Amino acid sequence: MNAARTLHLDRNFLNRYGILIALVALAGVLSVTTDSFATASNLTNVARQVSINGILAVGVTFVLLTGGVDLSLGSVVALSGVVCALYAHPGEYPLAVPLSMGLITGALCGLLNGVLVTRGGIAPFIVTLGMMTMARGLALIFSGGKPVADMTPALTNLAGDWGPLPIPVLCFAFVALLAWLFLGRFRLGRHLYAVGGNEQAARAAGVSVTKVKLFAYGICGLLTGLAGVVLAARITTGQPNAGQAYELDAIAAVVIGGTSLSGGVGSIRGTILGVLLIGIINNGLDLQGVSSYYQAVIKGLIIVGAVWLDRRQSRS
Amino acid sequence: MRPTPRLAIGSMLAALTIFSLFLPGCKKPAERKEGEILIGFSSRDLSAEYTAKLSEAIVEYAKTKPGVKLVMVDAQSDVQKQFSQVENFVAQKVDAIILNPCELEASTPAVDYVKAAKIPLVLVNQVTKSAGDSYIGSNDFEAGRIAMEAIAKKLNGQGGVLMIHGIMGTSAQLQREAGAREVFAKYPGLKLIDQQTASWDRAKAMALTENWIQAHKGKFQAVFAHNDEMAMGALLALERAGIKKDVTVIGIDAIAQALTAVKEGRLDATVFQDAVGQGRGSVDAALLLARKQPCPKENLIPFQLVTLENLSSFLK
Repeated sequence: MNAARTLHLDRNFLNRYGILIALVALAGVLSVTTDSFATASNLTNVARQVSINGILAVGVTFVLLTGGVDLSLGSVVALSGVVCALYAHPGEYPLAVPLSMGLITGALCGLLNGVLVTRGGIAPFIVTLGMMTMARGLALIFSGGKPVADMTPALTNLAGDWGPLPIPVLCFAFVALLAWLFLGRFRLGRHLYAVGGNEQAARAAGVSVTKVKLFAYGICGLLTGLAGVVLAARITTGQPNAGQAYELDAIAAVVIGGTSLSGGVGSIRGTILGVLLIGIINNGLDLQGVSSYYQAVIKGLIIVGAVWLDRRQSRS
Repeated sequence: MRPTPRLAIGSMLAALTIFSLFLPGCKKPAERKEGEILIGFSSRDLSAEYTAKLSEAIVEYAKTKPGVKLVMVDAQSDVQKQFSQVENFVAQKVDAIILNPCELEASTPAVDYVKAAKIPLVLVNQVTKSAGDSYIGSNDFEAGRIAMEAIAKKLNGQGGVLMIHGIMGTSAQLQREAGAREVFAKYPGLKLIDQQTASWDRAKAMALTENWIQAHKGKFQAVFAHNDEMAMGALLALERAGIKKDVTVIGIDAIAQALTAVKEGRLDATVFQDAVGQGRGSVDAALLLARKQPCPKENLIPFQLVTLENLSSFLK
């Protein structure tokens, strides 16, 4: 009896803190096996590298919570980056123009996804798959198939540092904080969970399912636009071919963080841990000189393992 | 939700199809005048910068030839699509086909199909397992060797080198690596500190180089990237870390941004692949073959190292 209770407690503990434990263990191993991991400069480096995936992952958490999915992230990142870069040639427009054009592009793509899912009644998988190829095509059309270069330093400096902190990291932190507050404290945030958990019940309780879903896809699009702007600033060009498969890393991070693909369950805290885990794996394996072939296998195993944990939890 | 009538959907699709005929780039099927030479050209992928440059050179050069009509189609990196395009050319009984194959192995059946139909075939920029009547291209092995030789010279044959690979298993990656390896064998003082793929992608190469700076700072004096996109990523990472002055960076392809970076003294060198030379060579070969005149089996357009000294002849 006692043993069973201990086991039960252990399992709860594992479910609750599994990813945190994995993260700490991984960091511990890397600190011991390499000289370079646990240094201030490398940890800043990791933070900078995860920030784009982090912003995307926070955005797609909103969509996944409603039981939807967004496969268009990578293409919309490229499109927003290209649009931003087109308006960012030195001396043409004030900084606010390229910034807002990038964000608006992302938000429009997200809203269109939302409209097609809610009003059109098409499965999110199909809608966002369509957006994925459409946005990529538009990015190629707007850029003429070539990277859009010659961006003003005022914009590319946004990928630089503010004091000791990289600006992309500050963006990610700010976005994550807002999302965390929003999901926990605001009624619309709680409605996201309600819609994802049981759509009929939410509707019966007077929640406007359409509005909630539109909001989720719109926010996801807006943040994707932000990620596109940050990426363009970082690589100093708008690349029509950028962002290939970014949606997979973002969704993987969210799922590792315990958000259920069927909706209704999940947290920003989990998403952040998932993002950090993937980032530290990438960084650590590069530091160790592990071949990218093995990196892919290891990342895949972790994703499947995390979902397996998630399913076991929802069954119990 | 009210179901949309099938008629409405049908007419919408029809309208879209008709509309698409008027989009730029969509052309009516080729009409043939008496005595005109018709050449079919299937490009690998117009969204890739180098291929776009090559295809433009082919189209422009064919326009300068009187009595010649060239029809270009885009295979979008899809082997199957390219095969059907080639079948269409054969069905149209074109006088010659210029093929820019998608892949070494998978595009071979398309080549065999054209040969069975006894239509003259020119391969450009990529070989297949079966040979065409003529091949116009550049030897990627040379490009790797030229780039690495330049690094060896700059370092006086002594120092640590990092190598960033293209997508593993593509012929460009394999050949460029092999060319570089030959130089390593020649200079025992040249050490390969670490190597990894960044899949031809600037953002990936940037993150990889940031990680390498953490792991190997001070131990490497040069970075060799298999293309310019990745060289630009490495360059940005080194500049942001403030150590570019200690590290030589060289890429391949001579894309516009790389040339600008060479001009500004940021990038040490790139290797020029002659898109216009390849394009003209392939049209000339196709015309010789169509007129049943003798044509060389192979025409290799040489690569050239671009540095600050000889830059002016490459900038247009």
